[in-house]
Amino acid sequence: MTQTFQYEAPQSRAELLALLAEHGEGAKVLAGGTDLLVNIRYGFTRPRVVVNVKKVAGFLGSTFSKTDGLLIRPAVTVNDLLRDPRVRELYPLLAACAHDLASYQIRNRATVVGNVVNASPCSDMAPALLCLGARALVASERGERVVPFQEFFRGVKSTVLRADEVVEGILVPAASAGARGGYRKLKRIQGHDLGIVGVALMKKDGLLRLGISSCAPTPLLVDGLKETDPPEVVVAAARRAIRPISDLRCSREYREYMVEVFVRRLLREVP
Amino acid sequence: MIKVTVEVNGRIYEREVAEDRTLVRFLREDLGLTGTKEGCGAGECGSCTVFMNGRTVNSCMVLAVEADGAKVETIEGEAKDGVLSSIQAAFDRNHAVQCGYCTGGMVLSVRELLKNNPRPSVAEIKEGIEGNFCRCTGYQQIIEAVLDASGQLTPSQKGELKHV
Repeated sequence: MTQTFQYEAPQSRAELLALLAEHGEGAKVLAGGTDLLVNIRYGFTRPRVVVNVKKVAGFLGSTFSKTDGLLIRPAVTVNDLLRDPRVRELYPLLAACAHDLASYQIRNRATVVGNVVNASPCSDMAPALLCLGARALVASERGERVVPFQEFFRGVKSTVLRADEVVEGILVPAASAGARGGYRKLKRIQGHDLGIVGVALMKKDGLLRLGISSCAPTPLLVDGLKETDPPEVVVAAARRAIRPISDLRCSREYREYMVEVFVRRLLREVP
Repeated sequence: MIKVTVEVNGRIYEREVAEDRTLVRFLREDLGLTGTKEGCGAGECGSCTVFMNGRTVNSCMVLAVEADGAKVETIEGEAKDGVLSSIQAAFDRNHAVQCGYCTGGMVLSVRELLKNNPRPSVAEIKEGIEGNFCRCTGYQQIIEAVLDASGQLTPSQKGELKHV
């Protein structure tokens, strides 16, 4: 690559938080690296310090409990999530979104936490996490806070995280276990590509939610709908929520149209 | 510079690397293992695919320092004692190689696919190699080779692209 930086691989949470407190904006967290290393290569970001979080004790693996739900730690890759039988059984919408994220090799490396912290409007994990009511567990030397994902994104590639903060886990509530759902993603090619439009639909206990990507500066949650709502009502709610733009990948009108197509398709497909 | 110890194809290498050195550059330029190709350098094309700790990764998106202590397998480790692996032999039989630039990464992705799914369908093969671009073959011969390598072609079907 064309930039030099200091590399740190802290072994403990305390060391990690101290490094972030010390270097602030000059530090970048390295998890899967599938966004960060590309951005460094192209000069989009120029960190003084790259902090690998994969060696931090307690940052590996996912745990599930019937009271707290599913805890996804920072080093959990997208393929780790897909290989987890509890995820496939209890949170099929998470698996559906994970499955559509990039290519196999990238899923072996990219982390679930990184996909949302990166805050791309076309994040594939965000629609599922928004629908399932997931929360980010945020830590810094100043303390801890819990941020629901509908309050997490601020704009394109921008979140509420401060420079000294790190997401040390994603908590998907136990109440969302068993939710039915599906994900539809429009791409330019059938192989791996960034989404042009992504729609997740979730049904649980009579409630219906949509998570929509690539149709606003941030991934969106459409809440307050019921399973019994007719398709016209669900489509209208989605249309009110989205604020798509035209860009090199497609026009605003096409995005609006495909959101409707995907909503109607998912209403038929999700049992 | 940081000192790393990496096992590549069963051999241990100790080197000093710059913090910003990627794994693909480390393999090619520091170890001379040029079978791994750098294509896009951004995780799109898959020509730099290698195994790291038993899973395929794009080595352009891994820092060499992250591979410290890891076990890496590259295309140079695929043939044993000069004999092609069953996947390489199937690529050869089915004309799945043209310019060859994607082939190393492609073969390793196919190995990973067949490890998890010994008899993949055509749709599953396409998904298994979706992270590996080939600009020569149009993929038909590669899919044929994977069907062949997984024992799903009869002798009369081989090389005739009948199934795709």
